[in-house]
Amino acid sequence: MTPQGGFRAWARELALGARMALAGGPSGWVRAGLTALGVGLGVALLLVATSVPNAIAARQERTAARDDVSFDEPPPRSDTTILVGKADTWFRGTAIRGRLLQPDGAHPPVPPGLSEIPGPGEMAVSPALARLLASPEAELLRERLNYPIVATIADEGLAGPMEFAFYLGADDLDEASDTVTRRDHFGEPRVGPRLDPVLSLLVVVMVVILLLPVALFVAAAIRFGGEARDRRLAGVRLLGADAHMARRIAAGEALGSSVLGLLVGGAIFFGVRSFVDRVELFRLSMFPADVRPHPVLVLLLVVAVPAASVAVTMLSLRTVVIEPLAVSRRAADVRRRLWWRLLLPILGVALLLPMLGSLSKSGGEVNVTLVSLGVALVLVGVAALLPWAVQAAVRRLRGGPVAWQLAIRRLQLDSSTSARAVMGIAVAVAGAIGLQTLFSSVETNYLVQTGADPDRAEVFISLPVQDGWADVQRLERAVAATPGVQSVYSGMSRLAVVGPTTDPQTDEPYTFVTVGTCDALRELAELDACEEGSVFLVASSESDNGAVPPEPGRTVGFLDERTNSVVGEWTVPVTAQMVAGRRAPDGNEPAGVLATPSALSVELLATWSGTLSSYVDITDGDRDAVERLRTIVWNIAPGGDFSLTTPTVRTNEFATVRRGLLIGATVTLVMIGVSLLVGVLEQLRERRRVLASLVAFGTRRRTLAWSIVWQTAVPVALGLGLAVISGLMVGAALLKIVNEPVSVDWSTIALVSGIAAFVVLAVTAVSLPPLWRFMQADGLRTE
Amino acid sequence: MSHALLVATDLRKSYGPTAALAGASVTVRAGEILAVMGPSGSGKSTLLHCLAGIVRPDSGTITYAGRDLTAMSDVDKSALRRSEFGFIFQFGQLIPELTCLENVALPLRLAGVRRRAAEQRARAWLAQLEVEGVADKLPGTISGGQGQRVAVARSLVTGPRVIFADEPTGALDSLNGEKVMVLLTQAARDTGAAVVLVTHEARVAAYADREIVVRDGVAHDRLAQTLERVA
Repeated sequence: MTPQGGFRAWARELALGARMALAGGPSGWVRAGLTALGVGLGVALLLVATSVPNAIAARQERTAARDDVSFDEPPPRSDTTILVGKADTWFRGTAIRGRLLQPDGAHPPVPPGLSEIPGPGEMAVSPALARLLASPEAELLRERLNYPIVATIADEGLAGPMEFAFYLGADDLDEASDTVTRRDHFGEPRVGPRLDPVLSLLVVVMVVILLLPVALFVAAAIRFGGEARDRRLAGVRLLGADAHMARRIAAGEALGSSVLGLLVGGAIFFGVRSFVDRVELFRLSMFPADVRPHPVLVLLLVVAVPAASVAVTMLSLRTVVIEPLAVSRRAADVRRRLWWRLLLPILGVALLLPMLGSLSKSGGEVNVTLVSLGVALVLVGVAALLPWAVQAAVRRLRGGPVAWQLAIRRLQLDSSTSARAVMGIAVAVAGAIGLQTLFSSVETNYLVQTGADPDRAEVFISLPVQDGWADVQRLERAVAATPGVQSVYSGMSRLAVVGPTTDPQTDEPYTFVTVGTCDALRELAELDACEEGSVFLVASSESDNGAVPPEPGRTVGFLDERTNSVVGEWTVPVTAQMVAGRRAPDGNEPAGVLATPSALSVELLATWSGTLSSYVDITDGDRDAVERLRTIVWNIAPGGDFSLTTPTVRTNEFATVRRGLLIGATVTLVMIGVSLLVGVLEQLRERRRVLASLVAFGTRRRTLAWSIVWQTAVPVALGLGLAVISGLMVGAALLKIVNEPVSVDWSTIALVSGIAAFVVLAVTAVSLPPLWRFMQADGLRTE
Repeated sequence: MSHALLVATDLRKSYGPTAALAGASVTVRAGEILAVMGPSGSGKSTLLHCLAGIVRPDSGTITYAGRDLTAMSDVDKSALRRSEFGFIFQFGQLIPELTCLENVALPLRLAGVRRRAAEQRARAWLAQLEVEGVADKLPGTISGGQGQRVAVARSLVTGPRVIFADEPTGALDSLNGEKVMVLLTQAARDTGAAVVLVTHEARVAAYADREIVVRDGVAHDRLAQTLERVA
């Protein structure tokens, strides 16, 4: 045969195989459909994964393009400048980005997503906020954002389709306010902080861990319908095909199925993409246009999936003897070798070893490729060890009830199908345990202890004082009258220079003077006795604001922070007592002077400028009270600080990485569940003849159901055991890399393993109705 | 003449728009070997599945030893199949993961017989069917003829009163087919079991005591037809 003829023959045989993959009537179509669905689900997820960098970049580009925060000197007022006031707010735990816009002239810059600046008192809102405002549950938000909506913010002005955002036209912005800035353009170059090395490591490991099970499922899906394929190949051999031709035809079948799988995957991807803007996962939403896979990665996928499908098929054919008797005789389950399977995790650990201790939160470098490869090898080791473990465990098992016997014998005959089915979930669990071990150990490093005490006050309000003590009284009255509020303590504080001179240019100590009623001051200091006119001095060792209390009798000069000049003086009474400070409900350590209003002159109280702080305790769980309070603050100062007290907060970057993990884990888990189900259905379909004959003998339903359960439970139990060991190995290695002591979080292990076991049991439960259907005589009718 | 063991009257069964049985009536007498013949798609297998209580007919009645099979619950019918019926299919339908011995012992184990006792009886039947040498082998590793003899042993192991055989030699060469039929009919006569033998091969049907032909979903007794024609 000439080389050309050889190529032609090859092509013909591959094409024949591809046709066989898609032919065969309804039964063949179902088989091809299940394989394509299995491969397609994996391909779709991989396409989504390859789109993530683009999606993040597009999101960042849009948020950078509307950025209005700059550390440069603001531009001078002109016809082309605009005042931008920060007016972010929240509603029921969801952030709403808000900006107040006040043009300085006729040609102000316009933020992306708007065609013009809304007029004073008019509002442009994002589509999501428009929907929220129109919904019945947003009544309390409507009270706050009670402005006519004149425009909708277009996509280019939004981080994501579900973002709540608004621009409100204004004409009374105070350009001296901290929350107001003058701009001559929108958008700042994105110089986002780089993730610290530990978080970078977490991201890398996360990607490896989340994608590896997907790749395993694609490989498992390619092997769907193996028995039917063997029978077809035996038929082809009967017609004169030699063993090599049969293998090429099998390769053609695999190619056909994988190409179909790629098409299905593409269709699923585009289907999901078309309504991705209607889904929000962990407060993150994306525009369909953002979900664009990287072309190089798509090309890699288009080549890798068919290539992998051929490789997997060739490997699977090693254990099958196909003879021209229309019967393919499956060789007994080949005794699996342990050495190379053990070599994989050992090699993985060996790759990680040189990097132990090379990272810390503050710095260090790590070879990302080696870490990815090391972790991947350990996890692939789980996948490789599982079939060996299942085979070794079931080899000597004998006896037991019929259901157990059927299951064990099935595993003894072909442990790889069941092992393959749970391989992905075992790898996912191992990865999750490794990652979670690292997460829980380093989490404390990314938790900021605020010192806040929600039991004393759940809400902290901070506003600029404009009208002196009257502001405090007005706010207290409004807050106290709000339904759901149990108590409110407010005060106002101000920076002051401590003598001997009162010239702020000299390097003199400064202090804070806080004015409040005795009840309010008791929230800030341990006071035995307090009455109107009392003054107290607090020196808190933990204070980090550098304020020092003046000696009694000293004169302090109040600073106007805008002009940095002294605008009033006050002498600390000689009767002022030194008292111990008490951490405020928001976690701040007070220091300086605490005075009751009567200790200051009426004039000083009336002209006071500075900050008003209010601690509000509300009825536990009264979410409406929180929203009403937000509206009160909004009406006073849209940019005013309003926060819910919480003892700890996660740093933003850590929270973002954790959110990414949750999204990835959710998608992977759903994918694993669906793939498992497709795999179980395919197995049931392949065995419907056997199932039907068992029914003919009078086999009870529960016997068959239990045999399916055992058949899944044994590999799952072994897989989870291996996953826990490998997960701990990965976790320990990662902890050592980031210089953290190794600790085992057993509750996490129990949770992750429990979720995996639940997924498997749920899939088994869902597969029972099809089992009942396959147990009917239809299986016999196919004769 | 032996008494009627299984009587089906006016059975009708459709799969979608296709009528597989259109008023078939048949009587199986105790200990007789009844061949059910007919072209492909005539409804032979459906008739067998109805008689065995695997498929519920749309209408008509089936009585087994005086009990109305069509009125029985699924649980009762399963119990009946475990204790009174045996089955042989075209491809043997042996459970691929069980050894031949375990396959033969399976109906006994499903009926609650302990493993050791079940396997003892299974081994004896394998010997009787001249395949004791494959007892510990998996079905995938033996020949088609051996597999079918194992299937015959499995159908007989519970001492059934009726054996349903659906094209038992359909996947075998003529020599192996002959061997299987000789062993099956011999064993059935020895145990007094009736055999309902679905086949489209005249040489297989020749082992039967009586033949019926299913055509367009209706069963016709060939002897009666012949007698009618002669008359």
